[in-house]
Amino acid sequence: MLSGSKSALVTRRQFVAAGVAGGAAVAIGCNATDRGNWEFLTVDQSRTLAAICDQIVPADDFPAASQAGVPDYIDRQLIRHYRRYQDEYRRGLEQAEALSRSRFGRELASLPARQQLEIVAALEQQKPEFFALVRNHTMEGYYGSPRHGGNRDAVSWKMLGLPEPPLLGRAQYDLGKGESQ
Amino acid sequence: MKRVNAVVVGAGAAGGIVAKELAVAGLSVVLLERGKWYTAADCRKDDLRNQRTTVLGNAFGPEDEGTPRVWVDAQGATHTVLASEGGYNNNAACVGGGTLSYGAQAWRYMPQDFRMRSTYGAPAGSSLEDWPISYDDLEPFYEQAEYEIGVSGDDSGTPFRGPRRRPLPMPPLPPGREFSVLEPAAKRLGLHPFHIPMARNSVPYNGRGPCMRCRWCVGFACEVDAKNGSQNTVIPVALNTGNCELRTGCMAKEILTDERGRARGVAYFDERGRLREQWSDIVVVSGCATESARLLLNSTSGLFPYGLGNRYDQVGRHLQGHHYTGALGYFDFETYDDIGPGATIAISDYNHGTPDLCGGGMLANEFIRLPIHMVDRLPPGTPRWGLAHKQAMRHWHKRTIVIMGPTQQIPTADARVTVDPAVRDKWGLPVCRFSGNVHPHTFEIGEVQARRAEAWLKEAGAIHTSLMAGKPTIVSAGQHQAGTCRMGNDPRTSVVNKTCQVHDVDNLFVIDSSVHVTNGGFNPVLTIMAVAYYASAALVREWKGTGFRS
Amino acid sequence: MKRWWKLAGWVFAFAALVSIGSVEGASYYYTSQHGQGCASCHEMASYVSAVHGSAHRAVNCMQCHTASLATRLRHIRVHLERSWPEQIRLRDVDVLEMTPNCQNCHQQEYATWHAGPHGATCSQIFANPAHNTQRRLMNDCLRCHGMHFNGDIRDLVQPQNTQGPWKVIRADLADQPAMPCAACHQMHREGTPSTRPPGRISVAGLPVHDTLAFFDRREQMHFTAVSLAIPEMHDGARLVTVSQDPRGAICYQCHAPRQPEAGTAAAANGWDRQVGSGDDRTPMGVHEGLSCLACHDGHNENARASCKTCHPRMSHCGIDVEKMDTSFLSASSAHNIHWVKCTDCHRKGVPKAKAPTRASAGVRPPGRTG
Repeated sequence: MLSGSKSALVTRRQFVAAGVAGGAAVAIGCNATDRGNWEFLTVDQSRTLAAICDQIVPADDFPAASQAGVPDYIDRQLIRHYRRYQDEYRRGLEQAEALSRSRFGRELASLPARQQLEIVAALEQQKPEFFALVRNHTMEGYYGSPRHGGNRDAVSWKMLGLPEPPLLGRAQYDLGKGESQ
Repeated sequence: MKRVNAVVVGAGAAGGIVAKELAVAGLSVVLLERGKWYTAADCRKDDLRNQRTTVLGNAFGPEDEGTPRVWVDAQGATHTVLASEGGYNNNAACVGGGTLSYGAQAWRYMPQDFRMRSTYGAPAGSSLEDWPISYDDLEPFYEQAEYEIGVSGDDSGTPFRGPRRRPLPMPPLPPGREFSVLEPAAKRLGLHPFHIPMARNSVPYNGRGPCMRCRWCVGFACEVDAKNGSQNTVIPVALNTGNCELRTGCMAKEILTDERGRARGVAYFDERGRLREQWSDIVVVSGCATESARLLLNSTSGLFPYGLGNRYDQVGRHLQGHHYTGALGYFDFETYDDIGPGATIAISDYNHGTPDLCGGGMLANEFIRLPIHMVDRLPPGTPRWGLAHKQAMRHWHKRTIVIMGPTQQIPTADARVTVDPAVRDKWGLPVCRFSGNVHPHTFEIGEVQARRAEAWLKEAGAIHTSLMAGKPTIVSAGQHQAGTCRMGNDPRTSVVNKTCQVHDVDNLFVIDSSVHVTNGGFNPVLTIMAVAYYASAALVREWKGTGFRS
Repeated sequence: MKRWWKLAGWVFAFAALVSIGSVEGASYYYTSQHGQGCASCHEMASYVSAVHGSAHRAVNCMQCHTASLATRLRHIRVHLERSWPEQIRLRDVDVLEMTPNCQNCHQQEYATWHAGPHGATCSQIFANPAHNTQRRLMNDCLRCHGMHFNGDIRDLVQPQNTQGPWKVIRADLADQPAMPCAACHQMHREGTPSTRPPGRISVAGLPVHDTLAFFDRREQMHFTAVSLAIPEMHDGARLVTVSQDPRGAICYQCHAPRQPEAGTAAAANGWDRQVGSGDDRTPMGVHEGLSCLACHDGHNENARASCKTCHPRMSHCGIDVEKMDTSFLSASSAHNIHWVKCTDCHRKGVPKAKAPTRASAGVRPPGRTG
C-alpha cells in the first residue's frame, strides 16, 4: 500500500466532509438502479435488445452483436444522435416482448436461439419500421468504429481481415530533395 | 470595422483561391467562413460520422441543429431535412469546404463539355447550353490549379482529353490490386484506361509529404496533409501575405447594396451570433451552388426586390450535380489490398460520342469500401441480416470491385434552389428549398453507363454483377452541386458574365460551381478551381484599371 | 437591507463550505471504498468494473488518478449536468498528471523509460530542428508522439514551417513526456496481477504483459498487443521471416513500414511492404526472424547489453560481434545492425564456421518463432 496509511487515517474534518458529500449525493439523487451500466435502456430492455441484435448478427467463429458491444452502441446513441428514436425503441422493444410472451410465454432473452429467431423474423414482418431501425443500428454498431461502444476491439474488422489499427509508415522524405514551389 | 477591398464569402475550393489571388495582388481581403477550421481532434476518421457516411452526423459541417433545408417532392409535398440526411444535398461547411474531406479526383472537363448544346442540341424540356468560355480559355488556369494545388496522376493513356501544355506535376501513386485486375480487362475491351488525376501528393510536393495509403480517404481529412485542399495550399498563402483575414464561424446574412445598386459589403453573424457589417469595394460570393444562390436570394432590397442578380428569375435555376451510376462486381479471388485511396483507374472513352446519347461520363473504380459500406452491397439475394449476412460479409468484403461514374446531367430550368417562405435557420435566415427533378434523358445515359461498367467488370472476371442505376425523384446536387448562377452573355438567361461578374452589379462576383453552365462528366473540383483562377485574374486586371471605386 | 446582505453572506459561506466539503469528502469516499465511490457515478461504472478485473485491481483509483481540486469540481459539474462525452477519456493533462504515479510501484521500469529515447519530452520531439527542417510538422506526428494531446499540431508547436525556430506553445506540456506509459500500456485491461516482470528474453515462451496495448489516437482507445497486426514484410520480392512475438506488434505500430512509394523499384515491380521502408527496422540478414524485444528493452530501446545473450555462441566467426563494423559499434557504419549479412563483409563467400553453429549447439535463437 502506497498511500494506505494516509487514506486510513480519517480526520474529523474529512469525516464531516464525507457526511456533507453523502448528503449532497442523496439530495442530487444519484440513482440508476434499474439501468445498471446503461445510459438509456433499462436492464430488461437491454436484454431484449441484445437478443434481437444477436439474431441480426449471430455468433459463429466470431462474436455475436452483443458480445461486440452493439447494445452499448445503440444505448449510447439513444441519448445522443439517435435521441429522436427513443420512443420507437421503447415501443418496439415492448412489442418484441409481447410477441415473445404471446407465442412462447417467456421473455425473449430466455428463449433458445431458434425460437428467438422466430420472434425476430415475426418482428420484421409485423413491425418492419422498428426492425429496419434496429437492423441498421446493429450493422452500424457491429461494423462501425469501436469508439462508439460497438465493434469492441475492432472484432468485425478483424473478422474481415482488416488489421486495426492498420500499419501506416511515415514517408522518410527530405524537403530539400522534394519538389517545392 | 475597417473597410477592405474585398469580402469573399466562403473558404472552400473557389473562395480560398480567390482570396489568395486577390491578397497576393495586394488587395485587402476578408474571407468569411461559416464553419470552423477543424483540428486534428475533429478529424479522427470516424466510420459513422464523416462527410460520406453521416449516420451520426456530418464531421465537417454543417451540424444538424438549426440548419434545416426543405425539398419538394414530385407530388408537391415538402420535407424538412437535417444536414446529415440525404435530401439535404450537403457539401461541407468548414475552412477548405469540400476539399478538406473530398476524394480529390482532379479532372479537367473535356473541350466538348463546354459546348454541349452546339454538340448535341438541347433535348426537349432541358436548358442545355454552351459555356460562354471554352476549354482553351481555361487551359492555362487548369494548369495553374494543377501546379499550385498539386495533382498527381497520368492521363497520357487516354486520347479523349483536351490538349495540355504541361504534364501533371506528380506521378500517380503506385497502382493497387484493383488496377492490375481492371487495366488489362479495359484494354481487352478496346478502352483506354489511365491513372486518375488526384489532388493528392504521391511524392513530396509543396513542402508536404506523400499519401500514406490509408483506408480512410474520401469523406475524411488527411492527417499527413497529403490531400491537397484549399485549407493547406492557397489559404495559408493568402494569410501569409498579411493582406487576408480569415473569419471563421461567420454566417453571411446578406450582401449590402447602396442606393445606386452597387454592393457595399456583407452583413454577417459572427461566431457569437452578433450581426456585423463588413464594408468593401467588391464582394465575391463563393458559398457553393446552393448557398451562393441562397445568399443572393436573401439579399433583397428596394432596388432588388427578388434578390441580387435575379432580375430575370435566373438565380437558383439549372441546379445540377451528377447522376452516379455503375455496377458492383463480385469475384472469386481477392481484389482488395487495403491500400488507399482505392480509386486509381478510369476511362473517359464514354464521355462523348455515343449516338443518341447527349454526353456520358467517365467511369472509375471506387474508393476503398469500409465495412459499413458493404453491409448493403452484398450480392442480390443475400439476406439482409442473420448468419447468412454475416458470412456473406466475410466472404465478399475483399472480393468486390465497384465501377461507377458521374453521368453528366442534362440541366433543366425547373431544378432549382429557392428560399423557403416559412422555414428559418438558427440565424433566422430563410433556408434553401429544392424543387424540380433530373431531366429523364440523364437517366437513359446513366443506365447505359451502368451497363458499360458491368461489362468492364465481367471482362475483368466478375462472377456476379449488380447494377447501380437508380432514378431518384429529387433534384440532384450533393457534393458536386453546380449551376445555380449560370455564366452567360445574355442577362436574361444567365446571372453572371463570362468573368463571373453579376450582370447588373458590377462589383459583385459569384465565383464557384454556381456559374457552371453544364457540369461535365467528371468530378467538378478542378474546374471550380480553374474558373476561380481565371475569374480572379480578370478581376485583378479590372481592379488595376478602375479599382471598382465609384 | 443590511440584514439581507448579512444573510446572503451566510448563505454564500455555507454554500462554499458545502461545495469544498463535498469535493474533499468525495475524494475520501473514492479512496476509501476502492472505487465504489467513483462507480456510484453511473457514467464511471464500466471503467471501475474494468479496473477491478485488471492487473491493477489492488490499486485505488486515486493512487493513479490524482486530480486537482479544479478537476474534481469539473467532474461534479459534468456529472450533475449529465454532460459527459460519449467516450470518457483522460485529457492530456490527466495522463501526464498520472504518469509519475507509475513509478510508485514500477521504479525500475520508470527509470529505464525516463532515461531513454522513449522518455523524450514534447520539446525534444516537436521542437527538434534536425527533424523540422527536413520534414514538415503534421497531425500524423501525434499518432506516435504526444498521442494524448487534445488538439491540433498547430496548437502544440509553432511555427508550422521548416524555418523555425520552433517552440512548444503549450508551456505546460513542453517538458512532459511525449510517449508516456499509457502509450503502450492500458492500465485497465483485464488481466492478473504479476509479482515481477518476466525475464527479458524467454526461450520457453513469449510472456506478454496483460497491460501491453497500443494507444490508438484515432479511436482514443487501446488495442491489446495480441490483437495487433504483424505485417508480412518483403526484401524485394522475397517474403522475410518476421518474429510473431506479439510484443513486437506494438513496436510495429510506430516503427512501421510503408507501402512502396511512387518512383521506387518496389513500386515499379509491384513488391509489397519493404524491410527498411518508412520507420521499419524488421531484422534481416543474420538477425532475420528475431523479435524486437530479443535485443531491445521496450522501455528505452537500449540494446547495448543484449548481444551477449546469443553471442559468441551464435557467431559463425568466433570473433567479437560487438567489435565488427556495424551500426552497433558506430552509428556511421554502412552496415545497419538490423540488416547486416555475412556477405556484406565476406564478399567472396562466407568462410567455414569456426565456432559451434546453431545446429550443433542445438539451440534455437530466442524469440525466433517463425
